[in-house]
Amino acid sequence: MTEHLLLGLQAAADTTRAYGEFPLIGARAAVWIAAEVHLMFAAFVLGVPMFAVVAEAIGIFGKDQRYDRLAKEFTRLLLVAYSATAIWGAVLVFFLATLYPKFWAYLTAVFGPSMWAYAGLFFCESFTLYLYYYGWDRWKYGRPKLGHWSLGLLLNLWGTIVMFIANSWLTYMMTPPRDITPTTDPATIKLWHAIANATWMPINVHRLIANVVFGGAIVAAYASYRFLAAKTDEERAHYDWMGYVGNFIAISALIVLPFAGYWLGREIYQYDQSMGITMMGGFMSWLWVIQAFLIAVLFLTGNYYLWIGMGRIPGAERFRPYTKYLLIVLVLGAIVWGTPHTMIADSKELTAMGGSHHPFLGALGVMSAKNTAVNLMILTTFLSFLLYRRANTRPVVPWAKSGTMIQGAMFALAAGVVLFYGIRGYFVEAIVRIGFSVYQVLAVLGCIVAVTVIDVLMGRGAQSLGAIQWGKMPPRSQYALFILAVTFTWLMGLMGFARSGIRQYWHVWQVVQDTSKYAATPALGYASKMISLCVLIFLTLVGFVFWLGGLAEKSTFVATGDREGGGGGRHVGH
Amino acid sequence: MWATNLKVVAIVLGTLALYTLIANKIPQVESEVPQTLTLGANVTPEQLVAAGEKVFNGIGGCTTCHGLGTRAPNLLTDEKGTGAIGVRCGKREAGKTCKQYLYESLDQPTAYIVAGYQPIMPVMTKQLSPQQVWAVIAFLESQGGTVDVSASDIPATSPTSPTSAGGAGGAGGAAFAGGSTDPKAIIQAAGCLACHKLDGQGQVIAPDLTHVGSRRSAESIRRKILDPASSTAKGYERLAGIMPKAFGTMMNAAQLEALVQYLAAHK
Repeated sequence: MTEHLLLGLQAAADTTRAYGEFPLIGARAAVWIAAEVHLMFAAFVLGVPMFAVVAEAIGIFGKDQRYDRLAKEFTRLLLVAYSATAIWGAVLVFFLATLYPKFWAYLTAVFGPSMWAYAGLFFCESFTLYLYYYGWDRWKYGRPKLGHWSLGLLLNLWGTIVMFIANSWLTYMMTPPRDITPTTDPATIKLWHAIANATWMPINVHRLIANVVFGGAIVAAYASYRFLAAKTDEERAHYDWMGYVGNFIAISALIVLPFAGYWLGREIYQYDQSMGITMMGGFMSWLWVIQAFLIAVLFLTGNYYLWIGMGRIPGAERFRPYTKYLLIVLVLGAIVWGTPHTMIADSKELTAMGGSHHPFLGALGVMSAKNTAVNLMILTTFLSFLLYRRANTRPVVPWAKSGTMIQGAMFALAAGVVLFYGIRGYFVEAIVRIGFSVYQVLAVLGCIVAVTVIDVLMGRGAQSLGAIQWGKMPPRSQYALFILAVTFTWLMGLMGFARSGIRQYWHVWQVVQDTSKYAATPALGYASKMISLCVLIFLTLVGFVFWLGGLAEKSTFVATGDREGGGGGRHVGH
Repeated sequence: MWATNLKVVAIVLGTLALYTLIANKIPQVESEVPQTLTLGANVTPEQLVAAGEKVFNGIGGCTTCHGLGTRAPNLLTDEKGTGAIGVRCGKREAGKTCKQYLYESLDQPTAYIVAGYQPIMPVMTKQLSPQQVWAVIAFLESQGGTVDVSASDIPATSPTSPTSAGGAGGAGGAAFAGGSTDPKAIIQAAGCLACHKLDGQGQVIAPDLTHVGSRRSAESIRRKILDPASSTAKGYERLAGIMPKAFGTMMNAAQLEALVQYLAAHK
């Protein structure tokens, strides 16, 4: 036994034929591009069905055909994106098998059966999608329509399982179960043991939410392009509405995404503290400053879009003076969130700085300040949305005034709790301070839920101040949606780099070492170029496949003269 | 329509260019693959300090927390009026020299938590090779103190088999402890005595190995080294998972066998 084991160790040390080479850009860059672009398409085709099926349900149960047509248009975008997802998935597998054959053999030894299941489920998913889309007009009414909607649910189920399987492979690379060592024969590792690793479920949840964000943003960008290219007012109104819905979905899901991120981060720390420190305070520390900048762009652009959108809502004028205060809070929050604190630096640099952080700004760079800033930004964004929502209505319920006052008090209370724990955090130990973020988050979420419930009740029978003038949006609002889509996509690439990069020179953390010439994890500068390249490839291809889709079939928008899309007097999307 | 298309392209490219530019303007830090560190028998204190500084500022990742006193005590200039680490290390624990204190702090970071800080430091003897650990100790001693680390502290190295500085080892690493088959050198290089007691030396955190040969067969000892999770001595269940699992890849065949037979002979 020992002899075999020792021979195995020797073999493991042998890196001959462990790696292939790719011309010009190298093996790592080739796999990076294939994996990232595949992931972007995959996120899109997994995210869009979630809100397509919800939109169809609103259409069925709310008896509003606009949503049914919207759901069909979402699904049409999926159809062409699916092929691209599969092609890039195949490219990734071929690259892994030829450029990292030894590591790929290891993964297949551990996960082989799940890979077969993955292929089978992908097959089921594809054909369910075809049935779902091509059966749309055939099963349009009554019971068959419910059956059609069930196909949408099934599509989501297949997609979710497929994603969970793929997530198990990559999370195993980050957090293999602790009993697995470099000497463990991969063929002896129980499949479920490898799948149910420490970060599997946090990544599953994080990606489910992120896919919705991403899908919403890409759909909004698609709609904005169609808006800009529209030839008639009705078409413009339809795509204005579609863009609004896409953006609403993206921003709403974005608000809860950080909580899934906290969970993932906590699991990483609990699994291996040094990995957590590498991620947050080690060579990746600057990455979070870049992330803060991107999130600031998302918040500012998302709010900007809402504020411009108020221009097409009669009655919104009365809220316009408040937007400058909202802007101030957002800008201050973004500045605080982007303030660096403890940066990795050598001893000479630290001495030159007079410390690892600025005497004044350093106080704003700690988590107490950052959590406070981001929670206030979320509250501000929610307030923007609330003003948008109420812009063309005047509540008529007898308790409207006190209801509004209670809403205001809830905002004040939530902001007060956030500020209190933010300041208190400076006077307690880190272990206590970490717990404060939970109270801050609960205060904000509680406010959002309670204020929304009151608003819905208060809006019953509300007096209309005029219909939303869908389509009456300046082009700059649509360009804002493009910036949002690019930023979401770039942020996805950046976070993917963070997740993968914390493994540093390990294919599988402390189990399978990367002994290739690309084992060093590159700095952010190089990573940013790769991310930009991947985003560019993705957006170019997604533009191309949408154009192809448009060639094959006209838009589902039908200018029937009824209220769909344009001219409708009601809010949609909330 | 062309004008609109061009505007869209310009916005996409402009946004990408802005993010790429910002990411390239910040300090560029690459996560390096640990490099081989070979310290010969005639290594001088200056060479040790220089090597240690490199590890401290680089692969060791020490500056992440031990800057000038943020997440962890200030080691390089002054910690609340007590001076740099080289000045205070010999006074931190009664009966322990500076060298002993620093080694134990790297090997058992939770043993001496400075008041006001959290036990967040990883076990550095798991992250770094013995050569790197001793080089870091020399560097820390040089911060206001006297460097007394010498080649004799460092496990024997083989000129034909340079010691890997590959942190926790791994499939591509070279032989542990410089390839020496002297069991005592291996035990010292692996830091076994930081937890185990053997022949009157070492700590009693983990099972005493003085009579390990009477409790375990050679096969059982071998399995325990290669796969620490395979079994846990009675009474030490709460320490399960503490023993590093990378020893198997940090030793060559001859070393493993020498260590196993040495321990098995301790009846």
